[in-house]
Amino acid sequence: MNSSTVDTPVSVSRVPAVLRGRSELGVAALLAVMAIVVGVDTANIRDTAINAGVMGPQVVPTLIAISLGLCSIALTVSVLRGGHAEAEDGEDIDLTLPAHWPTVFGLGGVIAAYALTLDFLGFVVASTLLFFGSAVLLGARRYIWTLVIGVLLSVGVFYGFILGLGIPLPAGLLTGIL
Amino acid sequence: MDNISLLMDGFANALTLQNLLFALIGVLLGTAVGVLPGIGPAMTVALLLPLTYALDVTGSLIMFAGIYYGGMYGGSTTSILLNTPGESSSVVTALEGNKMAKAGRGAQALATAAIGSFVAGTLATGGIVLVAPFVVAIAISLGAPSYFAMMVFAFVAVSTVLGASRIRGLSSLFIGLTIGLVGMDATTGQPRLTFGQPLLSGGIDVVVIAVALFAVGEALWIAAHLRHGKQATIPVGVPWMGRDDWKRSWKPWLRGAVIGFPFGAIPAGGAEIPTFLSYVAEKKLSKHPEEFGHGAIEGVAGPEAANNASAAGTLVPLLTLGLPTTATAAVMIAAFNQYGIHPGPLLFTTEPLLVWTLIASLFIGNTLLLALNLPLAPMWAKLLRIPRPYLYAGILFFATLGAYAAGLQAFNILILLLVGALGYMARRFGFPVLPIIVGAILGPEMERQLRRSLQISAGDPAALVSEPLAIVVYSVIVIYLVVPPLVKRMRRGRSGSTPTTPTTPTTPVAASHSGR
Repeated sequence: MNSSTVDTPVSVSRVPAVLRGRSELGVAALLAVMAIVVGVDTANIRDTAINAGVMGPQVVPTLIAISLGLCSIALTVSVLRGGHAEAEDGEDIDLTLPAHWPTVFGLGGVIAAYALTLDFLGFVVASTLLFFGSAVLLGARRYIWTLVIGVLLSVGVFYGFILGLGIPLPAGLLTGIL
Repeated sequence: MDNISLLMDGFANALTLQNLLFALIGVLLGTAVGVLPGIGPAMTVALLLPLTYALDVTGSLIMFAGIYYGGMYGGSTTSILLNTPGESSSVVTALEGNKMAKAGRGAQALATAAIGSFVAGTLATGGIVLVAPFVVAIAISLGAPSYFAMMVFAFVAVSTVLGASRIRGLSSLFIGLTIGLVGMDATTGQPRLTFGQPLLSGGIDVVVIAVALFAVGEALWIAAHLRHGKQATIPVGVPWMGRDDWKRSWKPWLRGAVIGFPFGAIPAGGAEIPTFLSYVAEKKLSKHPEEFGHGAIEGVAGPEAANNASAAGTLVPLLTLGLPTTATAAVMIAAFNQYGIHPGPLLFTTEPLLVWTLIASLFIGNTLLLALNLPLAPMWAKLLRIPRPYLYAGILFFATLGAYAAGLQAFNILILLLVGALGYMARRFGFPVLPIIVGAILGPEMERQLRRSLQISAGDPAALVSEPLAIVVYSVIVIYLVVPPLVKRMRRGRSGSTPTTPTTPTTPVAASHSGR
């Protein structure tokens, strides 16, 4: 459903042969980074009188940091020896297609923008844009129709939450109008 | 019997007009959302959680019971009418169910799934009534060392028994435990992994983690590989069964219930094993084994019943021990915590009415589900045709809403995105998602029990094995970890080639990712 079906061939040529098709090593690297972050953070926990008991707040994080490190090493070994697990399948998933990164990063960008502008724009405007942006990124082509659905959803949820559930959502730009 | 009178109190509390309305709304919404492709029961419950925020505890639990059963039923409808189900527990249902639908017997497949779910769900809820008080009676006398051991067991079970790869399962678990570390240490008040950010000092809301992993991660993953063109959905009429279908279904329902409940009730989690066992059993016992693979009704009736019974069974460790063993149970714990309710043996003594109202609501939700969904099935089937861009944009819309409503902080949405990216990564590389969420939820609790054990003994680690149950649990863990690889090695030795662990006959089960 994505409009751009022409998927640019990934330029693997610059990647050394050992690493080719082994992007999972990135996960191992992530685990290693997490191990270091947890380790450093734990080392910075101050020893106060209250910690002096039997088991301070450092014990469990230390164990987790060590385990993360071990997982990272084990995963690296496993991946280099050709180990891999199946990617998840599903109703709307076609694994024969390569990952369409513009959609994924586009959606991530839309969500990040939503988080940063929600308080200013208000729930209705921000959520309409979120819905519209995501639907278009996912291949919706009837723009006006999409916008209308987005507005209806946002306004409906806004009043539903305030009147029905008593949960205040920010009105932002439209304060006083809604 | 004492339980029965308590259960009656629960019914009296649940059966008010207002509460029935909540149950009705829950069942309808749960089914409607659960039917949508790409949405499993855990995501259904996580997405609908904000709706219950404004209700009182009883009302929200009742609505929750409806959402829970509705979401599961919706999932089986999807797998019958669409094939290739999103959640692994419905994989087996799809095997025969989709073949039946293609052969024009979709109405019968839906009927046997619905009625079988009702029969098994009711029996299994009855099982909770019988078993839970016993477990509570034992659990109440247990000390911290036993609880610690059981949590370790739950960790081992969700990360190594299910799923295809132990390394990946354990990696997921430790990622989850790391997420659980964030925030102020409960005992000493020391900030951990907060990076000076005051909004992190209270820890990351479990609802945000759940919505991120199940909704955002899934939506991003599907967006990356969105199927082009329309998938054929099979139109279906009102479900009904002929005499012969009833005759062939009732035994598989009962067998499915018997197979499913214990698997759910022991904290080893997952409906994959019982649904698969039920399928194999029905294939062996059937008078029409030649029909298997071409749409045998027993192959839908048994696994669906097993699936529902095991889902009800998972409520036993959840309510009595506070141990979530499936994704849906993990999200439910998050919901309970919203109300300051902490499932565990004490809950049965401090809030008996609440617990028994919940159990009564399960019976009610189950019955409403059957009454509503048989006539409404054609309408649910239409939901499968909703254009995918709107569907997944809608999922992101409600996911961000849920994350924001959890603390009314836009900051939560950034966390949502970050953990969602983690969920994407997990799906891409076949890392199970369940250990992440279970680790994040149970991690802090495990630390507390560990601390308590060691404080009693003044730091002597021998305290960890000072209770008989703890020793038993550790022995079971060792058996869990040692026996399967040993068996594999023996098999490998005997027959030169390595038989990969059998999953399902035709469709490979993609580990236990989005589970229940």
